[in-house]
Amino acid sequence: MLMAPLRALRSLHSLRLAPVLGLAHFGHLLALLMAALLWTFADLGEAKPWAHIRWMDVAGEGGMVLMAAIWLVQLRSSRPAGRVTSLLCLGLGAMLLGEWIDVLDEVWQLPKAMVWDNWLESALVPLGMLVLTVGLQHWREEQLALNDQLLKRERLFREHRSLDRITQLGDAVYMSTQIELEQRRSRPAALLMLGLQGFDSVAREQGLAEADRLLQAASHLLLLNLRPQDLLCRYAADRFCVLLPGGDAADAAAAAEHLRLALSGLAHHGREGARTQLPGLAAWAVVTAQAPAQQQLLDLAQRLRP
Amino acid sequence: MSIDLQSALARLCPAPGAPVYQQGTRFLAWEHQAALLLAFARSRELDPGALLDDAGIKLAPLLSPQQLLALLGALQRRLASPDTPFVLGQLSLPGHFGLASHALAQAANLAQALQLLVDHSARLSPLLTPRLLHHQDELILLWTPACGVGAAQRGFVVDMQMSAVTAMCQWLGGEPLPWRYSFNRTRPRDLSQHGVFLGGHLQFDCQVDAMRLPAASLGKTWPRGAALNLAAQALAQGADPPAAGRGLLAALDDYLLPRLPELPGLELAASAFGVSSATFKRHLALHGTHYQSQLDQLRAQVAVYLLQLRGCSNEAAAAQLGFHDRHNFRRSFKRWTGMTPSLLC
Repeated sequence: MLMAPLRALRSLHSLRLAPVLGLAHFGHLLALLMAALLWTFADLGEAKPWAHIRWMDVAGEGGMVLMAAIWLVQLRSSRPAGRVTSLLCLGLGAMLLGEWIDVLDEVWQLPKAMVWDNWLESALVPLGMLVLTVGLQHWREEQLALNDQLLKRERLFREHRSLDRITQLGDAVYMSTQIELEQRRSRPAALLMLGLQGFDSVAREQGLAEADRLLQAASHLLLLNLRPQDLLCRYAADRFCVLLPGGDAADAAAAAEHLRLALSGLAHHGREGARTQLPGLAAWAVVTAQAPAQQQLLDLAQRLRP
Repeated sequence: MSIDLQSALARLCPAPGAPVYQQGTRFLAWEHQAALLLAFARSRELDPGALLDDAGIKLAPLLSPQQLLALLGALQRRLASPDTPFVLGQLSLPGHFGLASHALAQAANLAQALQLLVDHSARLSPLLTPRLLHHQDELILLWTPACGVGAAQRGFVVDMQMSAVTAMCQWLGGEPLPWRYSFNRTRPRDLSQHGVFLGGHLQFDCQVDAMRLPAASLGKTWPRGAALNLAAQALAQGADPPAAGRGLLAALDDYLLPRLPELPGLELAASAFGVSSATFKRHLALHGTHYQSQLDQLRAQVAVYLLQLRGCSNEAAAAQLGFHDRHNFRRSFKRWTGMTPSLLC
């Protein structure tokens, strides 16, 4: 029972936490402030009799402190350092301190003459909320900028479990869900399947790492050659698939030929100096309403086999 | 049993006397499969040390199949990428597993390559034992248990070995071959990896894991083949005896296949393995199975072979498998496979 929280604390050490306002030890600073407040209350205040302590309040306010601390760790471990992170963390930190004073207030009675604790208590939480709100607004702007970068890699919704680790594109499952969306709304769409002839010998001759880099290069090249509304996913191995929303047979044939030529023109230079240029492969089809999306992709991939 | 069937089944088994390995037998050289897995992990940005910790393995010159499975399991967990078994398979053959790999890399044609693979499976495919079945103008490569793979990992290992043989033949032969694949499991949700790495001819819910090919491809000369395959000659002269080793379950199948109509009991089988029946029972339990289950599995597979490929009647199949009448056979077949013989045909 006791070991679980201890182990959780120890695993905190291996988390990489983003610095706040350049301070790597923001968490320690907060803890220090909390300790200082605790000491001040214990020193100046008068402990309330056991029976007068309202335990429900202590539990509620203590829970808030704990949750704010957890949110801080989650935030700092998942975000890069920067303005948005600093604002969000400062807001959460202020709220945490305000709630901490609330908790201490339940246990110790400060002399009536002292008003600073009331000031802190009523100012810190709203101030923290304000800073947090400003931070969230900046986060929104940041996300809009990031969405621009993710254009052609995702559309309509995000699914991080469907992300391919090598190319950072969606995988076959993500693509079939997208095709199903188009099918359900009975909108016209076309599919392309692209590949590199002889890709499997790259890993044998130059190593897996080089083959992966070639895939990354090919994915960048394809992204550059697509329209903003198109979606590129990695199907499997060196096979990429593209969804052209609203595309008809003529669009698909033209796009397939264009991308095939682009792939054929890609010269990849390996770290060992090897130059790899492989002929591109392309096939296209118009999305039909009847066949399941996965089957349409599978059939298209088979047409690419020599 | 007809002479014809007996000779067909006997061709599935090597000559008796090969060394037998169990799940815990340490005979896999560190620099063979384990090194390949760790190199793969490193190229996918996984720390090899952390992977070994995860699998609970310490550096040692020899590993057991069980440890290799643990390492594969750790890789599967940490990478969580659907193409892992296929990419690993592509890299694993001909591989760097000593003489057997050298011989394979210089194979003159598909027939020689597959024979090398089957004869030296302890080096080239220690987790699954390949068996070659020639049926009319078709060649069937069966993937059978070597020393047991847990249900959670069986699909992974089968995909890996099928991808290994497919990619090796394409690489050495210079062109893709028209393989057709059968899988002894339900159809996975996403078939993209199978479709690209293996091909479009995939069949699921079958009784066996197998790859089939028209026999015409067997004799075609391979561009990378060597006229004088010195490594294969050395192997034939017994240069690497452990390479011919058989996993315990494969060895049991080897023993049972030619003796099916007689249905030897546990004691007889145990004495053929040179242990008491209690010890044999214990060994089989360690591999997650028991004698009757192995016997039933084998009889089910031979029954499918007889009914489906050789077009036998129920009576004929029943007689070949040691049943006194076809009603008993029907009942047993239903118990083994979940369907009646007539449904299969």
